Amino acid sequence: MNFASLSAQALLAAFVLYCAAFLLSVLAITGKRWSNRDPGEHARRFGWIAFIVSAVGFACHVVYFFARWRAAGHIPTSNMYEFLTFLAMMIILAYIIVFLIYRLPVLGVFALPVGFIVIAYASVFPHDVQPLIPSLQSNWLKIHVTTAAAGEAFFAVGFASGLMYLLRTADYRDSSKPAGAERTALELTLFVIVLLIAFIGSTLGFNAAGYKAQFVKEVTVTDKAGQEQTITQIEQYVLPPIAAPYGSRLESMTPFLGMKEPLFVTPSWMNGVNAGRKLNTIIWTVLTGLILYGVLRLIARRPLGAVVQPLLKGMDPEDLDEIGYRSIAIGYPIYTLGALVFAMIWANEAWGRFWGWDPKEVWALITWLFYAAFLHLRLSRGWQGKRSAWLAVSGFIVVMFTLVGVNLLIAGLHSYAGV
Amino acid sequence: MIENTKCECGHQNAVGTVLCESCGKPLSEELLRGTGPLEMRYDGVARRSMRANPTPIDRVWNFFSSVKVAVYLIIVTLLAASLGTIFQQENMFINRDPAFLLSYYKENYGWFGELYYRLGLSRTFESWWFRGLLFMIGTSLVVCSLDRVLPLYRALKNQQIRKHPTFILRQKVSYAATLPLDAHPSEPSGPADQEEAARRWVERMSAILKKQRYRVHTDGTALLAEKNRFSRWGPYINHIGLIIFLLAALARSVPGWHMDEYYGFLEGQTQKIPNTPYYLKNEKFTVDFYKPEELPEGMRNQGALVPKMYETQAVLYRCAADCDDPSKQPVLEEVARHNILVNHPLKYKGLLAYQYDWQETPQLISVRATLKNRQTGEAYGSFVLDMKQPQDSYVAGPYQLKLRGYYPEFAFENGAPVTKSNDPKAPAFIFTITGPDLPPEGEPYIYFPREIDREQFGQDAINGALGRKLELAVGSMDDVQVALYTSWLNIRVDKPLPYIWVGAAITVIGLAMGFYWQHRRIWLRIDGDRLLFGAHTNKNWYGLRREAAYALNRAGIAVDAKTLETGGKRS
Repeated sequence: MNFASLSAQALLAAFVLYCAAFLLSVLAITGKRWSNRDPGEHARRFGWIAFIVSAVGFACHVVYFFARWRAAGHIPTSNMYEFLTFLAMMIILAYIIVFLIYRLPVLGVFALPVGFIVIAYASVFPHDVQPLIPSLQSNWLKIHVTTAAAGEAFFAVGFASGLMYLLRTADYRDSSKPAGAERTALELTLFVIVLLIAFIGSTLGFNAAGYKAQFVKEVTVTDKAGQEQTITQIEQYVLPPIAAPYGSRLESMTPFLGMKEPLFVTPSWMNGVNAGRKLNTIIWTVLTGLILYGVLRLIARRPLGAVVQPLLKGMDPEDLDEIGYRSIAIGYPIYTLGALVFAMIWANEAWGRFWGWDPKEVWALITWLFYAAFLHLRLSRGWQGKRSAWLAVSGFIVVMFTLVGVNLLIAGLHSYAGV
Repeated sequence: MIENTKCECGHQNAVGTVLCESCGKPLSEELLRGTGPLEMRYDGVARRSMRANPTPIDRVWNFFSSVKVAVYLIIVTLLAASLGTIFQQENMFINRDPAFLLSYYKENYGWFGELYYRLGLSRTFESWWFRGLLFMIGTSLVVCSLDRVLPLYRALKNQQIRKHPTFILRQKVSYAATLPLDAHPSEPSGPADQEEAARRWVERMSAILKKQRYRVHTDGTALLAEKNRFSRWGPYINHIGLIIFLLAALARSVPGWHMDEYYGFLEGQTQKIPNTPYYLKNEKFTVDFYKPEELPEGMRNQGALVPKMYETQAVLYRCAADCDDPSKQPVLEEVARHNILVNHPLKYKGLLAYQYDWQETPQLISVRATLKNRQTGEAYGSFVLDMKQPQDSYVAGPYQLKLRGYYPEFAFENGAPVTKSNDPKAPAFIFTITGPDLPPEGEPYIYFPREIDREQFGQDAINGALGRKLELAVGSMDDVQVALYTSWLNIRVDKPLPYIWVGAAITVIGLAMGFYWQHRRIWLRIDGDRLLFGAHTNKNWYGLRREAAYALNRAGIAVDAKTLETGGKRS
């Protein structure tokens, strides 16, 4: 067996084990009410089993990482797929650390899904090992990317705790306006997670089915010598094209549910790189997300938040509040070091300036400022509990935008992080 | 109005003090009546900004000393920065002509792009308002820190051991109990015995807390235990680091402290770096691409050309003499030699040269031309003809060639020869040749070193009879010197850089101090047989509760960590 296939299998094993650990964590909480059981003893036992399973999963994840390193010849953090799987590994590590401090089985119910959803999301991106372009050939690739991801992983655990806090304290019987607004916001957050799952599911599903559609576009580019050239660009769709790229011609398309050609063309002002495909992906995500959410609501017949809430019964909200805050407090210095200081040192070596207002840099700064505001509000203005939890949840959305959104929507020097 | 700020313990507090600096008793009636945990921020001392009669300067100070203002500044900066990432910023362009930029934003991003440009958002990070925001954050950092750190330092330095009962009981972690202090329960004991027993109990507690690495101070039957006070200085140290960082970034505007230019260096050429005494020679430029089999399938199929490595073999010279004399060649001395790669810049005494980009610019540098008899093929002699700086005359055997005109990029315009540029893209030389069988005033001869130009412009036709007799020719490729590439280097001077790193390092140290350690304090006092126990930390209450419960349990009081918390709903 070569290292490439070893790494792929180890990652699959890690993914399966994390899912299993998640189910065990759920059992640790829900099984408390089974008959003939001491609830405390049951939660402790299943909590530990879940923890050990996730630790074994983490070991597999580490095997994936080093096997891929061996196979690629460089640290596997150089494209989106590799970075996200690494981030997931750090999230699990952060979960392990925080679990060992606080020993709360319910943490696994929320932190583990963050980890395996990130792995699933990673698998949407191309898995290829890509050779390193000159600016990535540096030891700082190892140092900067790993520390930045470690810091972000603690923010992820902070997000999980914040979400838990909000679900725990949401009042589904209070009919007052603020309570209603809060429930709506919470449900919207859960809907975003459903959207992400729908996106991953539909992309992976069509990929596995081998779905393909191709568009051809003539574009004029200016080459390095300053000459204008017309080249033919191919835009590949992995999801059935509802929206076709602007100014393109359909080359081939597998029919889907009787749909033989795109329903409409992307408006002309959406003319960024692969704008048509991105719009199409967004349409599919919202569509499948709505269907998935609708089905879930039909089964549950109440808001998703109300479905999850019983899992958190018996949890002390203050503990959740503290865990969330501690995770962010642990992550913040690491993030500062990795995503800003080490990043500046490397940028100075590779690009000749430590700071250049590149979109990725700016968003790393925005994330840092956001958590700085969070910490100041909490420490000096006494923002605890709900407000702090909402900030922890939104903070992680900012993190994910910095990591993925910037690459998808805004180009820049970091755009090599292949998407 | 004169506010009475003297506490019952006799301590005179500053205006704005919340908790007496000495005994910790809440000073306001309102606070005394409350029952919840006390606000322990900055230990309840008066901040500098809490003045009775503020002057205008005090008002500015007060504005910047507010954390609320600081948070607003952070949020506004964050939003402003995000605006700057919507579209490409202007500093990404080399051509910054307003008309070009306006049309660029209009064409690429539509009406919104035009608006973006007109609002100046395409210059967000250079704008006065964004710089102003950063400046205000810097001011806020200085003022907020000074406003708090000095009073806090004073308060922590002069802590009283025996605190007011209200202070102890209204800590977030607190406990009250009656101690079984009677040494012999059968005999009635007097107050002296009881106090002696209490003292012993405090000593036992002291030993337990010392084991938990607390610094313990006792005052009879009262105790103060403290650990990791240094972590309180973490935020201020981190702010100092940020201030140094911002000042260093500002210091770039000091003349001579900062330079950031891009220059192209043609292979084989030595070029002066403007505004410095240095010259840099690009001896050789190499670029290496990944082989198709090294690329993943997707990229291979697209025929992607991915560079693996590019490198400029550079030599840095310092001008030693004749630097500004245009009539003389400057005297250069080699000072550094380095292969410049991405991630491996050349560094010499504050001058930095980074590999930025490269361009394929095939260009003739020089040829070794041989003068031949066109009929017999006899070679008379040869000379090196430089495309950048040709000499005035050359000698080839018995012939002399005087340079009458040099056209680096030759063209005809209205029948007259002109040059389109100074780059040797289509070089042409017009000589006057004198020698055997030629008139004394000589005969004109035009020479195109490039075969393609010879044919295009009809060298033989122009030269006529002389061209049939004599010929300038290049023997083999060894006689031709060609530069294939221009290497673009980013030449920088960045004197404040060390301070940037010092600032960043201090910030990270401060953050680690503040977040990875917590300042924990435990107060207790025994009055008669009544024990009051309170504890405070600036973060990680969970850890503190566990530590406090452990200490109490060891001292013989069975408590659960959770029940110590009075901040929550539990009692």
